Amino acid sequence: MPAPAMHGEGRNGVPLRTRRILMHAGIFLTLVLAWEIGARAGYLDPLFYPRPTAIVDSFIRIYITQGNIWRHLYVSLGLVFAGFAAGSILGIVLGSLVGFNALARRFVKPYVLVLEATPRIAVAPLLIAALGFGAQSKIAIIMLVCFFAPFINTLAGVVNVNEEKLELFNSLGASKFQILTKLVLPEAVPVIMAGERLALTASLSGVLVAEFIQRDQGIGSLILIYTRNLNMASAFACIFTLTVVGFLIFKGMEMLDRYIAFWNNETGMARVGAARKARWEN
Amino acid sequence: MATADSRVRDPVVGGNSVGKTFAGGTVVALENASFDIEKGSFVSLVGPSGCGKSTLLRLIAGLIEPTSGSLQVHGSKVSAPRQDVAMMFQRATLLEWRTAIENVLLPTEIQRRVTADDRNRAMELLQLVGLGEFAFSFPAQLSGGMQQRVALARLLQTGADVLLMDEPFGALDEFTRERLNIELLRIVGEVGATTIFVTHNIAEAIFLADKVYVMTPRPGRLAQVIDVPLARPRELAVQTSPEFNRLVEDARETLGAL
Repeated sequence: MPAPAMHGEGRNGVPLRTRRILMHAGIFLTLVLAWEIGARAGYLDPLFYPRPTAIVDSFIRIYITQGNIWRHLYVSLGLVFAGFAAGSILGIVLGSLVGFNALARRFVKPYVLVLEATPRIAVAPLLIAALGFGAQSKIAIIMLVCFFAPFINTLAGVVNVNEEKLELFNSLGASKFQILTKLVLPEAVPVIMAGERLALTASLSGVLVAEFIQRDQGIGSLILIYTRNLNMASAFACIFTLTVVGFLIFKGMEMLDRYIAFWNNETGMARVGAARKARWEN
Repeated sequence: MATADSRVRDPVVGGNSVGKTFAGGTVVALENASFDIEKGSFVSLVGPSGCGKSTLLRLIAGLIEPTSGSLQVHGSKVSAPRQDVAMMFQRATLLEWRTAIENVLLPTEIQRRVTADDRNRAMELLQLVGLGEFAFSFPAQLSGGMQQRVALARLLQTGADVLLMDEPFGALDEFTRERLNIELLRIVGEVGATTIFVTHNIAEAIFLADKVYVMTPRPGRLAQVIDVPLARPRELAVQTSPEFNRLVEDARETLGAL
């Protein structure tokens, strides 16, 4: 969408942006309405496709009247952030170590390739067997699914350091440590952040898998319980909750990325430039 | 014939039969180069691709080692990058996450702890290259020409008195390049550095230099030394003078006789 069109005016003086929003809302409402009518008229099996209004009722129940989803949401998100933090820090640290050390790279590479080709989820039951039931094995599963993207991206970022900048650092007589901290790692930040985004999304799937296998608490087990009790409306309410959580996580990571890799956007450069100027003058 | 003027009074950079081969000796990048470069002078290395001009620059910078012969700077052998020699590249190679002033300070940061004097010096250098107002801009906020000015200030911040420049303005448009060349002459004149400037543009080489080393390829060698007696400060108009054109013809003859 070209930027000028956003502020342009459509027919009847209604801004284009508003028109687009109205159009999307119209399509969405039509679909929901068709679903509602289809379910009520018996074209859709209400057992598997509950009415939208039933889903709204379930939302109200699990969030307000019964309020039982909060505890599960809290548990799941806690696991997501714990597993994500541990997995991605491990990925970044190992990725930079392996990337910066040619010898380590040669030895680690084949194992990474093999592990990358293996679906990580397949290992989940083994992790539970090894670590037992409980938060530990769940966090381990999440770590496993969100380790690789930061690891691979950090590795790639560190290995693909700009040759000309490297020559500059060499001509200035920089030490290996200075090259790592002043050139290689900062330059790898945007690609590492891209890995982090993938990892956080993956960790949301990871927590669900972990909770599907160990159905004690969390959103995953809640979905499983509702589905088994044929309470599909509530299961849908949980799934839509996850949609919102996933969207918020994605947007949050996008903002964090823009904040950390500030030199890739105008607002970031203006903010940091002003801050550095103020620090300089003190 | 590869021996440059031996009457140099105060040599800062000297080469003695310097040779460099790559790929296990199969590619001769530079052969038997001997030269002495006078303190405070401006020397251009000009020649087509593959004549070894960039190789010679990297040898002087200590980034690569000669296969044969030896190089001295200030009378001591070059074996690694050193603080009295600094290099500027065709691209600005600024760090995008640092402001202009922080980029200028990079060489100092690598050498030692940055002091208030270093910061003041860096700011002065940015003013010298005409970018005092852009000290806290990031490279992405600067034009290509401005980025090269920052790179020039960074080069001077090293404190080196031998400046190596590898087609520093080669990626810029003609107008910006001409303007920056004039400023370059003013600035290196002001700091009194010895400058070795690589280019493939004959007119540019002569316009800037006190002495032009014409280099020829396969194998790369110093083919001719041209003294440029044009008065300083020079202005662009000098390029239309008969004397200037005679020098250009002279270099072209050497390069044409390949």
